[in-house]
Amino acid sequence: MRSFRFALMLTPVGLALLTAASALAQSAPHALPAAPKNWVQTKTPWGDPDIQGTWTSDDCIGTPMNRPANFGDRAYLTEQEMAERMKRLEQQHEGDLKDTVDANQRVGTGPPGNWGERARRPCRQTSLVVDPLNGRTPDLLPEAKTRPVPEGAGNNNPKADSWEDFSWYIRCISRGVTGSILPVIYGNGQQIIQGPGYVTILQEMVHEARVIPLDGRPHESSEVRSYMGDARGHWEGNTLVVETTNFLGGRTGIGLNGGGTPTSDALKLIERFTRISPDEMKYEVTVDDPKTYTRPFKIAFPLTQEAGYQNFEYACHEGNYAMFDSLSGARAKEKAAAAKAAAGK
Amino acid sequence: MSFLRRSAMAVPATAVFLLIAVPGFSQTPSRTATRITAQIPRMPDGKPNFTGLWQALGTADWDIKPHYAHAGPFFQLGAEGAEPAGEGIVEGDVIPYTPEAAAKVKENLANRMKLDPEIKCYMPGIPRANYLPFPFQIVQGNQDIAFAYEYATSNRAVNMGKFREGQVDTWMGTSNGHWEGATLVIDVSGLNGSSWYDRVGDFQTENTHVVERFTLADADHINYEATIEDQTIYTRPWKISTVFYRRKEKNAQLNEFKCVEFAEELIYGDLRKKK
Repeated sequence: MRSFRFALMLTPVGLALLTAASALAQSAPHALPAAPKNWVQTKTPWGDPDIQGTWTSDDCIGTPMNRPANFGDRAYLTEQEMAERMKRLEQQHEGDLKDTVDANQRVGTGPPGNWGERARRPCRQTSLVVDPLNGRTPDLLPEAKTRPVPEGAGNNNPKADSWEDFSWYIRCISRGVTGSILPVIYGNGQQIIQGPGYVTILQEMVHEARVIPLDGRPHESSEVRSYMGDARGHWEGNTLVVETTNFLGGRTGIGLNGGGTPTSDALKLIERFTRISPDEMKYEVTVDDPKTYTRPFKIAFPLTQEAGYQNFEYACHEGNYAMFDSLSGARAKEKAAAAKAAAGK
Repeated sequence: MSFLRRSAMAVPATAVFLLIAVPGFSQTPSRTATRITAQIPRMPDGKPNFTGLWQALGTADWDIKPHYAHAGPFFQLGAEGAEPAGEGIVEGDVIPYTPEAAAKVKENLANRMKLDPEIKCYMPGIPRANYLPFPFQIVQGNQDIAFAYEYATSNRAVNMGKFREGQVDTWMGTSNGHWEGATLVIDVSGLNGSSWYDRVGDFQTENTHVVERFTLADADHINYEATIEDQTIYTRPWKISTVFYRRKEKNAQLNEFKCVEFAEELIYGDLRKKK
């Protein structure tokens, strides 16, 4: 969460709830401070590479998962394209400083963009998928195409017979491992706390807490399965490598917000966290799901630190008025339609 | 004495710890007491290391006050759904509610199935998160300290740096920690007032201030105390105390209890489309 006082909750129809509004100015777009010349990875007192701090994937907000066709195999923006995007971010920032809603603005059900997070600098990548080289998610296997995909956000007229029609994230259950770190419009904070034998990642999105043992213990029994899986970590040089298995199948997908085609119980994720400067970490995740995709693929993006940035508590389920409203709205519509039909007889 | 001197020289915090943590401790401790405290896991700087998987025993999750066994709310669950007896964890046995607050507790209990945040899978708040019948993981480093609770994936980061006031009130509150000798003291404020202490309606408000004290009694036991004050509903500060036990099974680990989907029928059931 950026460093000013509001709590934002997005609902299925994109309704936002603003509380405790006392907006301090959001920092203008700026380059990441250059790493000191002779920077070396510091160590914790017990000898592990120190990657502690509160990180965010905000820099790649808006970068598409799959590379637009016009970029072909080009993975990075040119300097000129970067300069253009920086200019756009600056213009966006100027706009953010003005009134939240102009007097003549048409207001929809979505919040104004500046209630969400903004990238502080353009993301150099043309897509979040970096392998295969075309920057696109591999094809789905036929068996995966038959899996039901629940209603995500952005549909203003969702099927709402039951809460079970909605996605796992609209139900405030989880966005899964990738959905809890992929850059979206809010809640990208990752607070890493290390201790001897463990790395913990406290994630703002739906208040996930990943506890990653480093002692080489085997994975849990395959009978024990979960949304966030069973994580095991180790260090390869200064890189934290985390292997996560034991997922429940048929829940969240690899798309933004954990949406899209649900992955299977065979999903294995290999994440690599490498701090490359005081304020920047390379993050990549290899998605290997032989029951869902035709081949493994890799997603990557930077995590950065900003002064004053901290996680906020995302009490999603506790404040899920949207679920009440979606369901009660749908029942009210049915009642009205039934009354109309009865009156017409 | 020579043993004590040796260990005190090697780990300066040891001697301080003994003075604080062992009741009735005198200048000449028994060798047994020294040996037990020497087993306390420590960080490289000598501070006690609370990292591990912990869990409370007892029945405070049902009722933090002394109580006898009761039938549960659903006869279908028979003995499995019944409430076991317990001594409670409230020092002096009584929560000093104002008369108005005591009436509210009764009301809460009468409407428990609708109001208890635990039933709805809401974040439990502090101190309730600590003694729910689920384990919690502490990961302590050289900076902040992470508490990850199995119930509802609730969690908190304890800020060990400069005191930081919460910017908004939250379910889990804002935790600022510091060391008093070998005791980890956590000041919890910024609670949103929606949490209960147990299943019988004992409650807090957004003015409630909790100060927790964690002290390792030995390698596998944490003595836990919390002082609770709130002039709007209690006539004086009061205290709870209990013990957290280290989970020792060789494959014990924090699991996932994402209970939202276990509570949805209860919360939204009347809004489901009728067939």
